[in-house]
Amino acid sequence: MELWGRMLWALLSGPGRRGSTRGWAFSSWQPQPPLAGLSSAIELVSHWTGVFEKRGIPEARESSEYIVAHVLGAKTFQSLRPALWTQPLTSQQLQCIRELSSRRLQRMPVQYILGEWDFQGLSLRMVPPVFIPRPETEELVEWVLEEVAQRSHAVGSPGSPLILEVGCGSGAISLSLLSQLPQERLRGSSWMREDRAAPSPLWFTDSNAYHIYLARLWPRRKGCWSRVIAVDKREAAISLTHENAQRLRLQDRIWIIHLDMTSERSWTHLPWGPMDLIVSNPPYVFHQDMEQLAPEIRSYEDPAALDGGEEGMDIITHILALAPRLLKDSGSIFLEVDPRHPELVSSWLQSRPDLYLNLVAVRRDFCGRPRFLHIRRSGP
Amino acid sequence: MNRHLCVWLFRHPSLNGYLQCHIQLHSHQFRQIHLDTRLQVFRQNRNCILHLLSKNWSRRYCHQDTKMLWKHKALQKYMENLSKEYQTLEQCLQHIPVNEENRRSLNRRHAELAPLAAIYQEIQETEQAIEELESMCKSRQSLALWPRLECSSVIIAHFNLELLDSSNPPTSASQVAGTTGLNKQDEKQLQELALEERQTIDQKINMLYNELFQSLVPKEKYDKNDVILEVTAGRTTGGDICQQFTREIFDMYQNYSCYKHWQFELLNYTPADYGGLHHAAARISGDGVYKHLKYEGGIHRVQRIPEVGLSSRMQRIHTGTMSVIVLPQPDEVDVKLDPKDLRIDTFRAKGAGGQHVNKTDSAVRLVHIPTGLVVECQQERSQIKNKEIAFRVLRARLYQQIIEKDKRQQQSARKLQVGTRAQSERIRTYNFTQDRVSDHRIAYEVRDIKEFLCGGKGLDQLIQRLLQSADEEAIAELLDEHLKSAK
Repeated sequence: MELWGRMLWALLSGPGRRGSTRGWAFSSWQPQPPLAGLSSAIELVSHWTGVFEKRGIPEARESSEYIVAHVLGAKTFQSLRPALWTQPLTSQQLQCIRELSSRRLQRMPVQYILGEWDFQGLSLRMVPPVFIPRPETEELVEWVLEEVAQRSHAVGSPGSPLILEVGCGSGAISLSLLSQLPQERLRGSSWMREDRAAPSPLWFTDSNAYHIYLARLWPRRKGCWSRVIAVDKREAAISLTHENAQRLRLQDRIWIIHLDMTSERSWTHLPWGPMDLIVSNPPYVFHQDMEQLAPEIRSYEDPAALDGGEEGMDIITHILALAPRLLKDSGSIFLEVDPRHPELVSSWLQSRPDLYLNLVAVRRDFCGRPRFLHIRRSGP
Repeated sequence: MNRHLCVWLFRHPSLNGYLQCHIQLHSHQFRQIHLDTRLQVFRQNRNCILHLLSKNWSRRYCHQDTKMLWKHKALQKYMENLSKEYQTLEQCLQHIPVNEENRRSLNRRHAELAPLAAIYQEIQETEQAIEELESMCKSRQSLALWPRLECSSVIIAHFNLELLDSSNPPTSASQVAGTTGLNKQDEKQLQELALEERQTIDQKINMLYNELFQSLVPKEKYDKNDVILEVTAGRTTGGDICQQFTREIFDMYQNYSCYKHWQFELLNYTPADYGGLHHAAARISGDGVYKHLKYEGGIHRVQRIPEVGLSSRMQRIHTGTMSVIVLPQPDEVDVKLDPKDLRIDTFRAKGAGGQHVNKTDSAVRLVHIPTGLVVECQQERSQIKNKEIAFRVLRARLYQQIIEKDKRQQQSARKLQVGTRAQSERIRTYNFTQDRVSDHRIAYEVRDIKEFLCGGKGLDQLIQRLLQSADEEAIAELLDEHLKSAK
């Protein structure tokens, strides 16, 4: 089963590929009989819900509703223009629904089937195996925005913090922060012309090259607006974040860098100054829990985006260990973690007084589980 | 004084409703004819202004309903009292020392009364001007009694003529002109001048009365708010006439908000089988939305022979109902929501949640524990957006409860009332077989149901009439209260 999953993932992990049809060769999928006559949206939803339930697909009704709504051009079935609910569908639309539903029968997550999903109201492209943002993470973004607002209120000037996101994936956290953070614009058109001339940096694997590049460009951007540096070790994630940034016209405010956080080499020379904030939804699943994940996750999402090692702490501790080099004094780190982590993190921080980090607050998610950590740096 | 009242009553267009039953035939020419055409009549007939007016004034005065007169006397008295209060306040604030608290409330009252007093002052001055104009004419009263006199008495007044001997009445304009040394051209000019002056004064006083009425009508607290409009199909013994009707009404309001250039955001749409609508909700935002839509809340009744749907089999007249609820949308500060009072229900994954689970069910249910209100939303894919929408709807419903509590305390006897009483009363009937819509509160009928349901001019006109009636009732109530307190 796992081998099948890995093969599938390997096939699907090409950049920009939206759930290819090659997966069919491995499945025991049977062709569905064509629906007789013209069907309306409501009837189709009932039909496919029945099919999914028979095959034990979880969230049968929600999946079929999303698929039908998507084919008819709406985000949710509830928001579909009411006239379309009873109108008969074209054969093209029926065919499309059939195709998408067959992918659902192979346990592909709905987000990959549709190729897009919403996060904090932004519409983002989703491509396997890049990690699908979870609804809990929306609350992490809310918390960060509250903190930024509070801080700028205290200082008395509009906040334009420098933010680093570790493990950006599809760019959900970075882009939703950017779209909601205040921006200051420089007056005068000369700045705009300058901006257009500068190509937006993508990714560099040679640290020397981007070191020089950034050093050249950075001074021009000083004092402009909130900036985010997004980092990920997977090229697929980098290109997806870039695509989403362009979709939302935020490509000028985000710096997307292909970088493996855990490798020692990356942090020896940093071209950018210390950060105000580090935000991350790092892989935090305990290694022994990886097997119990649903097929949707196991077979389609990048395990490296989920597996956090034995206690799920590997990446978390890496980020925290880099704080002295990356973070300003009294800068903050915001993390999403497993409900068992707040205590583990607290005791780990106590074992590393050299980092000068304190666990300031733990926030619960909408299910009441302790999910988010706020760690602040205080000291030399 | 009473003569002035008559003029005043007659001139104000919004009072035409009251006066309709009381104006007699011979004064119809005044009511219907626009000022300009009246001038034409004057010019054509070359009648004396005073002659015409005085004749009709006396007759109208006799036929006035005493009740109407009393009501408007009450208005005069009210305005007098207000202006007296304003003057005493002014003196008080200037000369007599008062402590801070009283000063603040006195200042507030002073600011409230200032525009009303100003308008009243202007009205007084304008009426005085009219009086002067007429007194000049009046001094030549003997002329007024001669029905065939063709020259304008204003001309005579203007030239300070002697009072002519009544025993020897002049029979033509030229005769009078001859005695005073005027020629026909000057006569005409002066006549026109006088009429123009009268016209401008009339216009001015019309405007002032309009302003006065506008300032007197108490401003509703929530008029400028946005609304959430909710429609729900009623229940019948069989068939789906209610559901079909609900859909038509919802479409009508959607078109109306388009017509008024408002934004229409669908919050909830639950269709019934066979193309009807069970219930729906939408958020409408724009200028003065609540002011226009507040009287749409209540039960709407339909009578038709259904063409489509289950009921169409038997070709008989069916009756159905649907209810419309209009909730003004509060600003954040208006409704305080304590997080402790809320329970938020979302999909709860077993186990650790977060990265362990991939779920697409983003529906949110909000329960307000103290009041038991429940709001559900699954319009969006993003859970946090669904939560925002649910919060908004919850705020609006709580706000509505607050408003209803306020209204109940007021105990208004008005026919056009927004609140609990209106919710259970039938406000409008849509009769398709007779092709008319009747609003029961103002006994107003509209023809051409199909055009009305397009949510354009037809509906707009009905709403304007409703607002007008509401204003009139509001002022009447204001005067009643004032009289009661005066006693």
